[in-house]
Amino acid sequence: MHAKITQMLFSVIDELNQLRPPDEHLAKDLETPLAGDSGRLDSAGLINLIAVAEQKAAAELGRPLLLTDDRTLSQVNQVFRTLGTLADYIHLRLNEQNDG
Amino acid sequence: MDKQSYTCVLVSDFNLQNFAGYVANDPEFPGIKPISAPFGQPVATLLNRELPCWRNTPDVALIWTRPQSVVSVFNALLRYETVPLQKVLQQVDEYSSMLINMSQWVRYAFVPSWVLPSYRSVFGVLEMKTEIGLTNTIMQMNLRLAENLARAANIYVLNTHNWIVQAGMQAFSPKLWYLGKIPFGNEVFKAAARDIKAALHGMLGYARKLIIVDLDETLWGGIVGDAGWEKLVLGGHHHLGEAYADFQQALKSMQNRGILLTIVSKNEEQIALEAIRNHPEMVLKLEDFAGWRINWQDKVQNIIDLMTELNLGPQSAVFIDDNPVERARVKESLPEVLVPDWPEDPLLYPATLLSLRCFELPSLSREDLVRTTMYLSENKRRGLKKTVGSLEEWLTRLAIRVQVEELHSANLQRATQLLNKTNQMNLSTRRMSEAELMAWAEQEHHRLWTLRVSDKFGDAGLTGIVSLEIQDRSAHIVDFILSCRVLGRKIEETMLATAIQHAQALGIKNVYARYIPTAKNKPCLDFFKRLEPRFRQQGECFIRDGKQPFPVPEHIELILTP
Repeated sequence: MHAKITQMLFSVIDELNQLRPPDEHLAKDLETPLAGDSGRLDSAGLINLIAVAEQKAAAELGRPLLLTDDRTLSQVNQVFRTLGTLADYIHLRLNEQNDG
Repeated sequence: MDKQSYTCVLVSDFNLQNFAGYVANDPEFPGIKPISAPFGQPVATLLNRELPCWRNTPDVALIWTRPQSVVSVFNALLRYETVPLQKVLQQVDEYSSMLINMSQWVRYAFVPSWVLPSYRSVFGVLEMKTEIGLTNTIMQMNLRLAENLARAANIYVLNTHNWIVQAGMQAFSPKLWYLGKIPFGNEVFKAAARDIKAALHGMLGYARKLIIVDLDETLWGGIVGDAGWEKLVLGGHHHLGEAYADFQQALKSMQNRGILLTIVSKNEEQIALEAIRNHPEMVLKLEDFAGWRINWQDKVQNIIDLMTELNLGPQSAVFIDDNPVERARVKESLPEVLVPDWPEDPLLYPATLLSLRCFELPSLSREDLVRTTMYLSENKRRGLKKTVGSLEEWLTRLAIRVQVEELHSANLQRATQLLNKTNQMNLSTRRMSEAELMAWAEQEHHRLWTLRVSDKFGDAGLTGIVSLEIQDRSAHIVDFILSCRVLGRKIEETMLATAIQHAQALGIKNVYARYIPTAKNKPCLDFFKRLEPRFRQQGECFIRDGKQPFPVPEHIELILTP
């Protein structure tokens, strides 16, 4: 599942890069910083990331994903620190759905 | 094509940052540089010419609003309170006046029509009821807006509904709205960016004018040389036949909008022409085609020959062929010709043609609507040329009449179109909106004439523009523009005679024509270099003594209309 989540996030990055100049494209790399002090996304970029990731999770993973709840937004800088931390968090949330 | 970016002011009551990202980062021509107006204040922005966003006459303004932000009574309608339709339309009129006033500050303005979120259908069955349904009201508001804005030649109302349909289920995004005041999903913004770039492409004079189409398996199903025209798949009660007939219908609709149709096909010419003449289901007739090359020669060479015959450059043409090998060959050899990827399935041909976004014109003139007839007349002229002994005899027998008149409201649309799309015989290649051109021509020291050309074979319409700027005792030819349809008949000399004789009447000392080179206007330079009576050349400036006579060519009947 983690590999599928990573692929899904890479397709999110493809979408976001259409909105950015070539020299500001985000790398499809789990180490790519997103939010926080060294993050590459401003608030509008983060909103787009959340909206597109939720859409693609439904379309590509067939699973609903909620990234605007209090639990996620209260730890934005941790969850969205890098593409890798976001992938881990999505993995965790989807596993919790399975457990539930 | 030029590399410059065109400035676009974004005026909205919502967040257009995603739209700005798409248009700014799309590498295709024309480049657009977005300028954001103050966020969420469309009315205040439309009323204040002094805002920084309006400085330096932006090329484009996009004014994209939700109805409730500019038509205040719409808020009451959203609560299903009763508001007389007349009151709603009155506010639409007021908003339209603001837009028309603003249109003087930019070259072009785009106003996407209003839409309601598609999830808002709680009283679905009443949606289309007059004075009750919101959908009915918003349709009437959009219609009123379009009618009002038709008064401004440089404002275009865009059909937002098309973008919503293309975006499908993701068109409206409550999530993006609550998080970022972005009402639409990104697919809507992508579709809007495509449409606006396509429109601007046409307005800048780069609309395609010519479709070159193959015959076998493209215009009809089957190989006419093998099967005979009676066995072609075309029309009738067959899904493929219907699709081919619809494809022809789509081509015919393009022709009715001024796009020239031509054929390049590997076939026996007589067999192919017989099929076009005789097949009862042919939608397109032989007279719908401005020319053809039907033979066994290389298609690239045939396309070059055909475009030379029509006096059009490769940047004007679209090549449609079912054969991927032929498409690849043309794409590689003639990179300026647009060669769309073509579906294998003929059922998709009509939709593929009608979804091409390269034919957009900012306006439609009488000349556009009869363009094929004009080219057929040109074929007759060429036929006459072959039968006479000299150029002078041919020109005399054409009985050419040139009607010269100044710019006015009735010829402004066509003159602006000619100004913006003529590339070859164009001295300075200025690009201006209708309002800008009229404002320029109305200045006291400026004069601008349009020329309509006709002869015994037909009327070529308004095909020439020449303009002068008078400075002290000098006259500068600013625009010298002639459609390629009438080149080489000494209309060029007639244009110069018109301008120079006017300058002479003012006692002008010298007449100057400064050539501004572009990638395409070398024919204009060549004309001035070989012109008789001669102009003196200094670098890229051509100079003529104002006292020397410059007569109208003898074979031209000149009609001056005040």
